[in-house]
Amino acid sequence: MQVFLQTIVGGLNLGAVYALVALGFALVYRTMGLVNFAHADVLMIGAYIAATFTVSQHLPFAVAVLASIVITGVIGLFIERFLRPLEGRDFDLMLIGTIGFGIVLESVATLIWGATGEAVPSPVQTRPLVVFGASVPTYDLVVMGVAVVAMLALSLFLERTRRGVAMQAVAMDYDAAKAVGINVGRSNAIAFAIGAGLAALAGALVGPELYVSPTMGGSIGIDGFAAAILGGFGSIPGAVVGALAVGLLNSFSADYFQGYADLATFVLFAVIVMIKPTGLFGEKTVLRA
Amino acid sequence: MSTAVAAPPHTRQLRVEDLSVRYGGVRAVESVSFSIAPGEALGIIGANGAGKTSTLRALMGLVPRAAGTVRYGERNLTKASAHTMVRHGIGYVPEGRHVFSGLSVEKNLLLGGYSRGWRKANQEALDGVYARFPVLAEMAGRPAGALSGGQQQMLAIGRALMPKPSLVLLDEPSMGLSPKLVEEILDILTGLRAAGLSLLLVEQNAELAFGATGRCLVMENGRVVMEGDVARLRADDRVQRSYLGL
Amino acid sequence: MNPTLNPLLRRYRAPAGYLLLAVLAYLLPYQLGSYDMHVLDTAFVFGILAIGLGIVMGIAGQINLAQITLMGVGAYTTAVLTTQENYGFWVAAILAVLASGLVGLIIGVPALRVQSHYLGIVTLGLSLAFTDWVTTSTLAGSGSGISGIPVPPLGGIDLSDDYLYYYLELVVFVLSLAFGLFVVRTRLGRRMRAMRDDPLAAGSGGARIPVLRMTAFLLAGLYGGVAGVLYAGLIRFVAPETFSTADMFLLLAMVVIGGRQSLWGCVIGALALSVVQDELTDLSTYAQLGYGIVVVITAVVAPTGLAGLPGRIRPLIRRQREQPALAPFQPYPATAAARETATGRELLRLDAVTMRFKGLTALREVSLSVGAGEIRGIVGPNGSGKTTLFNVISGLYQASQGTVSFADRHVHNLRPYRLSDLGLSRTFQNLRLFRELTVREHVMVGLDRTRPGWAWRYAIWPVGVWRAERRLGAQADELLDRYGLAGFAKATPYALPYGIQRRVELARAMAGEPRLLLLDEPAAGLNATEKAQLVEIVRSIRDHGTTVIIIEHDMGLVMSLCGKVTVLAAGQVIAEGAPADVAANPSVIEAYLGRAAAPRQTDAAEPAPSKTKEPTV
Repeated sequence: MQVFLQTIVGGLNLGAVYALVALGFALVYRTMGLVNFAHADVLMIGAYIAATFTVSQHLPFAVAVLASIVITGVIGLFIERFLRPLEGRDFDLMLIGTIGFGIVLESVATLIWGATGEAVPSPVQTRPLVVFGASVPTYDLVVMGVAVVAMLALSLFLERTRRGVAMQAVAMDYDAAKAVGINVGRSNAIAFAIGAGLAALAGALVGPELYVSPTMGGSIGIDGFAAAILGGFGSIPGAVVGALAVGLLNSFSADYFQGYADLATFVLFAVIVMIKPTGLFGEKTVLRA
Repeated sequence: MSTAVAAPPHTRQLRVEDLSVRYGGVRAVESVSFSIAPGEALGIIGANGAGKTSTLRALMGLVPRAAGTVRYGERNLTKASAHTMVRHGIGYVPEGRHVFSGLSVEKNLLLGGYSRGWRKANQEALDGVYARFPVLAEMAGRPAGALSGGQQQMLAIGRALMPKPSLVLLDEPSMGLSPKLVEEILDILTGLRAAGLSLLLVEQNAELAFGATGRCLVMENGRVVMEGDVARLRADDRVQRSYLGL
Repeated sequence: MNPTLNPLLRRYRAPAGYLLLAVLAYLLPYQLGSYDMHVLDTAFVFGILAIGLGIVMGIAGQINLAQITLMGVGAYTTAVLTTQENYGFWVAAILAVLASGLVGLIIGVPALRVQSHYLGIVTLGLSLAFTDWVTTSTLAGSGSGISGIPVPPLGGIDLSDDYLYYYLELVVFVLSLAFGLFVVRTRLGRRMRAMRDDPLAAGSGGARIPVLRMTAFLLAGLYGGVAGVLYAGLIRFVAPETFSTADMFLLLAMVVIGGRQSLWGCVIGALALSVVQDELTDLSTYAQLGYGIVVVITAVVAPTGLAGLPGRIRPLIRRQREQPALAPFQPYPATAAARETATGRELLRLDAVTMRFKGLTALREVSLSVGAGEIRGIVGPNGSGKTTLFNVISGLYQASQGTVSFADRHVHNLRPYRLSDLGLSRTFQNLRLFRELTVREHVMVGLDRTRPGWAWRYAIWPVGVWRAERRLGAQADELLDRYGLAGFAKATPYALPYGIQRRVELARAMAGEPRLLLLDEPAAGLNATEKAQLVEIVRSIRDHGTTVIIIEHDMGLVMSLCGKVTVLAAGQVIAEGAPADVAANPSVIEAYLGRAAAPRQTDAAEPAPSKTKEPTV
């Protein structure tokens, strides 16, 4: 039972991080029609910036994270400029163009910070909590808490504010949005910046848990992407549900299948996607060939 | 009834000269010119494929204008991009409604007033639209996609009215609606005219156009082939021939 | 330049080029040091792998981020079988290639259900799963890999020597490339390319999409296997690191920069990048940055890659020769088939067909009967359900209620390709042409009526494929002449004027000599001359034995062409009959104009038109 709870806690923790990544993916895809494979590398940049502020500049962790979000968001505005020609295009090209861009980000990170990476000390030094016999590292709770707050903030933004609702409208009907006066280009850029900010938040939070290196985006990105797809690509609530599912799946696989965790996870994932190609909440139709 | 658009009567004239639209190799619209006096309602009718919708979309800037000039009042809007049109007082009701189906009726309406602000700036206009279309007030919290065709059409019109436009472009508002609903649309359009709005109505349903406007253009194959008062056109059987290829 | 010399040069240009390449390839090892030789050997392995990726992604349009895994399967199988089961190298090699082919098929199964980013993530995931397995499983060496793979035995030749291994690879490479090009340039490749460019149009033309997809993945697997075997024989050590996602992206970059739709491009990309990557190992980060930038620029600016550059530069530097012109249509000869259809037997029948989508009823109890030899018009206002009707008849939609019969067979739940087999063909309202196929290839796709079982001939009897290809080409040329398109044979459709695009779609639809042809707004966007030509062509098509149903808005066209017209409004049939009668029908007039017929201007002497007549439906 204890082990079971432990696994769940681990899964939720992973799920929280994946949720932030998946939300960024989903937001960008919904509003811009861009499948951004460089998203995970944006996460990596966010992690590095936060790490630099924490380790080198000795800023408090929270401040470092905020700074990272803001800076990465601004970088996101520039990235969107570069990737704009790929929006709504042939998927192969989007795939390759954004992957290429990801490689550029990795190289830049390597040039600035070196290839060896760094360890970030956990900002929370208290003893782990014990819940029903399961040991819950306090930092895990911090991560989950922040993720929940971020999700709520994003929801509020999208549902209650003028720009947020406009962003949703652009995703639903491009021309009608223009007709009511929404500057769709600017809306998309802001959406991308928010997506980048979310990735940076995920990266900054996960820094103390993992090793910050230029290639850290790799597996988190794939899992985050899988989470967004599982939830139904483009669906915001779906991204969260999918992320929790992938997080739990990973956690249980690691426990039961140990070395074969990835294998189990992805075979299961492949089967689920094939049974319900539109994902849990998605609307995309399957062509009747 | 006219509180929603009780702006003082405006004096802006729309002048369109030599408008052309080309998609790839196809000339969808060829050299169309017309003008709309302040408060006037002009109809564009014609069979399917005549280029009516393309004309409207080009006017709005949703498709590139291959040639021509567009002037509204003193402003030259020839190079204006689509999202700036609303700020010049031009509202647009697209063909097929195109409401934001995942958002509530109220949010759809508030988005209509996007250029002016959000809730505070648009409250008065919102109340006015609800007064004009009580059914929208009833469905205010429902997602727009759940509304029937006729209700969606009212929502699309209401959305266009939110920023208190002086000119409204409507693209085939009767499409897919039953004759009874078409009657309601006619009433709405008459009401808008009475409130002093200029209207440009594109319609396949000639009868609706004749009822709602004072003057019509007949388009065929991208060109204007006839023009005149509604009374004259109604009696002219060339209109019928144009539609039915006789 | 002497004009008589030119054709001679042109004829022998290709063979001379190949000969030159062959000589260079033979002499190359003499120029290279042993380290460079090793690099080149590795490059060739990636070249073969790139061909596999080019086929599945560039030709068939299927995202396959597990291509490197397929090489891994080939290499690991060879390794395991030779080191642990003590199989001979070549036996192990054959089994390894088969294993890779099988894994390719397994990876391809998701492609039957999902495409684009879904397929991308699934294949990527499966690739990670494989990496996971080889890192963990003891059979695969638990992460430290398998070493000690024996040198492939080949008579007395010592293949542990990189120079000699090069020649083995060269032979395998040339055969692989030749086979790949053979597939691409014949019917299998052409069908795959059609599927890539427009699966809907390809399916409606008879292509079995699922079979084509699986075949593409099978080929990807086989090529991956061959590459893996060669790799195992060269390095004689396999480890998980070689088959990582980073390498997959490198392979992807190779294929994209080289030009994924051209196998030569893939190969050149692979060779070039392998060499460049090696040259820059010291500056590896800058190199990585560099090719990341190149990949982005290629994707944005030059999506067809290096191989596509000549095609894009040529029109810029070469002066436009006189534009080819559309030649006149040559009417079909009257045939016996035409006499058969003149009997007017019922060919198509719809019984109370209702089509419901979420919340919308597009067709309501529509019944229709079309006899052989008719030209039937379907008209009606915007949104009345005409195209939906065609989609139901052609199998793209399955009717919610009611039945459809074609030539006395119930067909209402058959897929489009089955209907195509039965002799149904159609064009589309928004013109669905294959972007990257030439006009001649469009017609060849239409002419190609072979069933999927035919693909086995590629392996067993390639000569048959080649001969059939030439026959198909000759038939295509005839058809192009008939439709006046001979001058445009080598052009891709979207560069052509709109009227000619329409003609191409029509030629493609008629290529298979269908019994029933559905034309969806064929006159949209045509000028008066083109419309007159269309009338002539459709009449000739009918006289040749094909029954035609045509959706049109141009009532003048409908009047002159159709013997009988069916009017749809709001998803229901409201009138049917001769065009002139239907046009005078008050319900029809009301449906179109929203009101009854305009009162006619009458002289006092003429009697007023009677308003008591019942409207005919």
